[in-house]
Amino acid sequence: MTAPQPAIQTVLLSKSFGLRPVLHDLNLTIPAGQCVGLLGVNGAGKTTLLRCLASLTRPTSGSVHWFGEAAADKPQSRRLIGMVGHESRVYPQLSLRENLVFAARMYGVHQPESRADHLLQDVGLAARASAKPREISRGMQQRIALARALVHNPPILLLDEPFAGLDAHGSEWLVRMIDSLRNEGHAVCFTSHDLAVTQQLADVVYELRSSRLEKVRFYGPNLMMRAAA
Amino acid sequence: MNKVWWVLQKDLVAEFRSLRVWPSMLLLGVVVAMVFGLQMDLLPQQKQRLVGGMLWLAVFFAGMAAIERSFSAERDDACWDGLRLFPVDLSLVFWSKWICNTIALSALEVVLFPLFFALSHVSLLAHPAELLLVTMLGNLGLSAVGTLVSALATSIGRGGNLLMAVVLPLATPVILAAAEATRMIAEDALNQTFWRWVQLLLAFAVVFVTVGTLLFPAAVED
Repeated sequence: MTAPQPAIQTVLLSKSFGLRPVLHDLNLTIPAGQCVGLLGVNGAGKTTLLRCLASLTRPTSGSVHWFGEAAADKPQSRRLIGMVGHESRVYPQLSLRENLVFAARMYGVHQPESRADHLLQDVGLAARASAKPREISRGMQQRIALARALVHNPPILLLDEPFAGLDAHGSEWLVRMIDSLRNEGHAVCFTSHDLAVTQQLADVVYELRSSRLEKVRFYGPNLMMRAAA
Repeated sequence: MNKVWWVLQKDLVAEFRSLRVWPSMLLLGVVVAMVFGLQMDLLPQQKQRLVGGMLWLAVFFAGMAAIERSFSAERDDACWDGLRLFPVDLSLVFWSKWICNTIALSALEVVLFPLFFALSHVSLLAHPAELLLVTMLGNLGLSAVGTLVSALATSIGRGGNLLMAVVLPLATPVILAAAEATRMIAEDALNQTFWRWVQLLLAFAVVFVTVGTLLFPAAVED
């Protein structure tokens, strides 16, 4: 019996912008059902790494694999990925429901309208379904962004600074949501500056330093020790 | 092809609700037409010779304002990455934007053609079928090259400056062919040369759409 393929695997992944290396020979493996946290100072390359994992940015060298296949080899393989970026990525002229229906249609989801309604219920925005994205709070925008990323139920979820700008209640909700997704078998990778939340949520934590990944172990709140991954 | 329709529908709904591109495009077209029209203190025959070129230059300059926004709007709303993550061939996105831009140019002409007629008293409706054919082919070619270059300009962050600098030389044959064909319609001279211009317009439309379909996925890559 062969071992199941990891949800995400990078092999000697490197990315440079001009002469400036941002990522250098990264080997990262994320099995299904695991939640990985990425720490790093501003400009460390966390967003670039997430974009490479999502196939939005082409690596300078090395490769990214989703369940054993080269990432985005075929357009259809992008179904495996759901991503929440810094922005909510929803169209300001469309209502929350219309945004979700549009995304569901583009992913070829069966019955896009009922899927949108179901997701709005899940993220607690059913009452604001006809609101425009600019009419809702930052916390609600994070919720709609997450709903949009989950519209096709992807097995891999990438979250870039998902806790940024959220209040305590919003953060708690997001922690519960990510936790339940991980328990359902989704592979989750998120970036954060928040040590406490990262420690609470992630099964494995890495820090990006000097273009390389270092595994982090926590010894009590906010006290961490690094080791080369 | 459903996906082409969904993106097109999204773009049209977004534009009709926000009105952030088309009104300025129409206004610019009207201003250019007014300037041309009021400056044309010419004999009727001279007007017939000039109207095609002026009309298509007005369409080009006003139309590019709309075409330039077709991708920068996606960038401004940070939706471009979301669009690239959909499991669809990116060429289909090019087709959606191309059709949307063709519709924008057509809407512009619905305003500009009567305006030019009113200002210059040159009748363009003596051969409506031929005028429709020339207009359609001109729009298809202009919007194809504009859409591709707009995507490229947006992806490298240069926006409108690069668009005008690159599109103008590429679109010159289309503008020239459309202007000449329109002039011949105005002069009631639908001879063999007219059909040569129409063939040229068709050839450019086919070439630009094919090149756009093939190059678009690479043009928008990070």
